[in-house]
Order: sequence, then structure tokens, then C-alpha cells
Amino acid sequence: MYRPRRARGTRQRRAFRAGIAILGGTIAATVFPATAAADATDDHPIPHRMIVTTCTAEQILSAARDYAPVYYERYIIDKHNKPPEVQQAAIDNAHYFYSLSPADRRAYSEEMVTNFADPMTASWPNWAKIFFNNKGIAAKETDHCADYPPDDQSVWD
Amino acid sequence: MRLGKFCVVAAMTAAAVALAPSAHADVDTDFADELHGYGIYGQRDYNGWLAKITCRRLGNGLDSSTEKSAEFLSHNLPRGTSTAQTWQFLGTAINTYCDDLMPRLASVAEPNH
Repeated sequence: MYRPRRARGTRQRRAFRAGIAILGGTIAATVFPATAAADATDDHPIPHRMIVTTCTAEQILSAARDYAPVYYERYIIDKHNKPPEVQQAAIDNAHYFYSLSPADRRAYSEEMVTNFADPMTASWPNWAKIFFNNKGIAAKETDHCADYPPDDQSVWD
Repeated sequence: MRLGKFCVVAAMTAAAVALAPSAHADVDTDFADELHGYGIYGQRDYNGWLAKITCRRLGNGLDSSTEKSAEFLSHNLPRGTSTAQTWQFLGTAINTYCDDLMPRLASVAEPNH
């Protein structure tokens, strides 16, 4: 009476282990492709032109104001809807990014892909939208940014 | 008699309320319709927004003249838009969204002395 019960217990344990193995495999299959897809590429998450441009954030915004005006308008409206300290943090972050070398910008780009806990991103997920999110907009901005003064702060208003 | 008068007034009031929106169709729609007359198409929201931005730039001096406004528009209207269409867009935009700036447009047509 006792042995058959042990045998049944062993079968249950085997089935449980098999279940765990299948579940583990499923989780791994789900997680690893996602990790691979999140790798930074030449244009993701930051377009290559933004990695190599010598323009300042203000020059980029000036070009956006004149060559992608609706996109710029939406960004500025979005910005004005944020608390002052968040707006200032966005400006500071943009200044910081464009002060970096291309290699450091690439490293920043990699960091952006993996660090979802970044406080700037948490408080305003679209803070860098006008700089990074759209390859076409980035192309317009970097085509013309050199024509503008480097430190015209009024473009943030 | 008094009831009849009341009914007429009430009917007129109801008609005014009901017809007012249709007589004053959405200004963005009017703007888009006028653009279509010039062969200018594209997204209605985009064109409306672009027109309002053009007005603001001309009003606050970012664009110092209507020539500058036309230059700004030439960068942001679809490729293939003619110079004439760009000015038609500008004129329609000013007339629709910032008619206080019409004198600025009129001055372009005046001969230089």
C-alpha cells in the first residue's frame, strides 16, 4: 500500500520537473528575442545623424521650428505642460547629450535602450522626441541646423 | 394671437440655434475648401496648423515680412507646390486666421516709391 503511493509521488515530481523545464524554456524564448530586439543599432534609438552632428540643441530646435514647424509646435506645447523643473531637466539633458563626443553619444544611446528607470524618461517619456524619435525629422534638423546661432535659448519657449 | 407670435419667435430662435453652426462651418474646413480651389491639398489638420503658425510668426516678428512668411511656407508645403500656390496659401491663411495682418500682405502688392 505504501510503495505504490511513493511511485505515484515520484511520477508527480517528474511531471512537475518537466513542467518547470517547459515553462523555463518558454520564458527564455520569450525574454531573449526581446533582449536582442532592444539592441541599439546605427539609427536606433538615436538616429546616426544626431550622433555625429556638431550642432547644439538650440540649433537643432531652430531648424525644427523652421523646417518641421508642426512637429516643433507639438513638442513645445508638450514641454509647456510639464512642471518647470522637468522642463529645465529636459533642457539640461539635451545640453549634456550634445556636449558629448559621438562615441559617448553612442554609449548614451545604448544606455537609453536598457535603462527604463532613468528619472528624466520617467517624468517625461517624450522629452527627447524632437531630437531622436523620427529619422525624417532628424534629417531635416541636421540638414539646416548649422545655419542658426548656437545658443538662442528662445527656441525653448 | 399672442400664442402664434410666441410660436414664430420660438421657431426663429430654434432655427438660429440649429442653423448657426452650419452657416459658420468649421473654419479649418473653410480654409481647406479654399485651398482646394487653388489646387492645394494635403492633410487638413496639417495645413490648418501650418497656417496658424505662419500667422503667429508674422505677428510676433519671427518672420519680418510676408516674403519671409512665403519662404517659411515654401519649406513646409509639399514638394511641387508652385510659388503662386505658396502665396495663395499665405493669403488664405492670413485672411482666415489673422485678418488683422492683411495690410502686411497688401503692402507687397503696392509699387515701391
